[in-house]
Amino acid sequence: MRTTDLIELLARDVQATPPGIVNRRLLAALVAGGLVTLAIVALGLRCQPLLAAAHQPWFWMKAAYSGLLALAGAVIVRRLSVPGTGVGAAPLAAGVVILAMLAIGTGQILSAAPAGRLALWLGHTWKVCSPLILLLAIPIYACLIAALRRLAPTRPVLTGAAAGLAAGALAATLYGLHCPEQAAAFVASWYTLGIAAATLLGAVAGARLLRW
Amino acid sequence: MMRLARRERVDFPVPQQDQTEERLRPLMIRSLEGDPGAHRQLLGVLGRYLRGYFARRIGSGTGEVEDLVQETLLAVHLKRESYDRSLPFTPWAYALARYKLIDHLRRRNRSHQVPLEDAGALFAAEDTEEGALRTDLDRLLQRLPDRQRSLIEDVKLKGLSVEEAAQKRGVTAVSARVMLHRSLKWLNQALRDEND
Repeated sequence: MRTTDLIELLARDVQATPPGIVNRRLLAALVAGGLVTLAIVALGLRCQPLLAAAHQPWFWMKAAYSGLLALAGAVIVRRLSVPGTGVGAAPLAAGVVILAMLAIGTGQILSAAPAGRLALWLGHTWKVCSPLILLLAIPIYACLIAALRRLAPTRPVLTGAAAGLAAGALAATLYGLHCPEQAAAFVASWYTLGIAAATLLGAVAGARLLRW
Repeated sequence: MMRLARRERVDFPVPQQDQTEERLRPLMIRSLEGDPGAHRQLLGVLGRYLRGYFARRIGSGTGEVEDLVQETLLAVHLKRESYDRSLPFTPWAYALARYKLIDHLRRRNRSHQVPLEDAGALFAAEDTEEGALRTDLDRLLQRLPDRQRSLIEDVKLKGLSVEEAAQKRGVTAVSARVMLHRSLKWLNQALRDEND
């Protein structure tokens, strides 16, 4: 088949495309994956008493930290799914958020009495926190990858990492509905570890899944 | 003095690229609005630029260039939703072409160091001469199920519209459209695998 024949064939396959479809696809993926993860948190893990928790600063501290990271991840994914644009300033913003959280956590540990430091850092659930966040990220990551495969990310590893970051951070935000831990040091360590693992695995999987 | 100024203007590369942008972006937008004529024209121009770009990068005469042109045109077609209408078109097209080139070189285990240039690298020169093909799409088409293949043949060889072809085969226009689109996606995949 000559190239001109191919072009003729492709011209027969033209259909109108509404503007803004990239945003809608990615948003739909976040909502769909987020709902699955929310269902697992609410039905499988059970939420903590939310009315009481909502009056506590630590509840919102956790939500703000992971929520901001999820937002940064989503912005990076959006930028990378449109060929020909750079990643922008969102990675820098994510880095600043993480560093700020690490600083707050370290400050909390240093200002605590030495005898109580370990308990503050490990809480009651440090063993399950990061693995659970990683598991809860899977539905969101899968939905994001499905949406991205229909777009044209030209940097598969980076895009996979960004999708992992968005998925891990959104999963951590939803996990906060269940997780009763209150210490900034705990969040700075185990939430960050879970989100980092999701980002890393997202990059590895992205290299394979996002080629087109 | 005047002659110098005039020559400077001619040598200045940016207006050339601006012209390409001004020429192609409206075509792309009309193509996204569903205008087949604009789509055909856009792919035609792009194909000529792609041929020049790939030939400069991997050398002509191997039959790889035209394969890559076809693969990239298919990708431009199938991935055109990812173009953001508020942004310039030429960097988008260049990013797709460069991605396809890198992917092609990687699959052949060659060094895939492709410099990240300005989009002007793609739009430097048009080449209208279609080169030889290594992979014949017609041969790949033989592997499609009968219904899909005959639809494509009706549309491609007999020049029927999708609606006419659908009527002839006794299917609805919508299902014929879906079938055509699916076949093109499959073809895109098959062309990639074939060149692995």
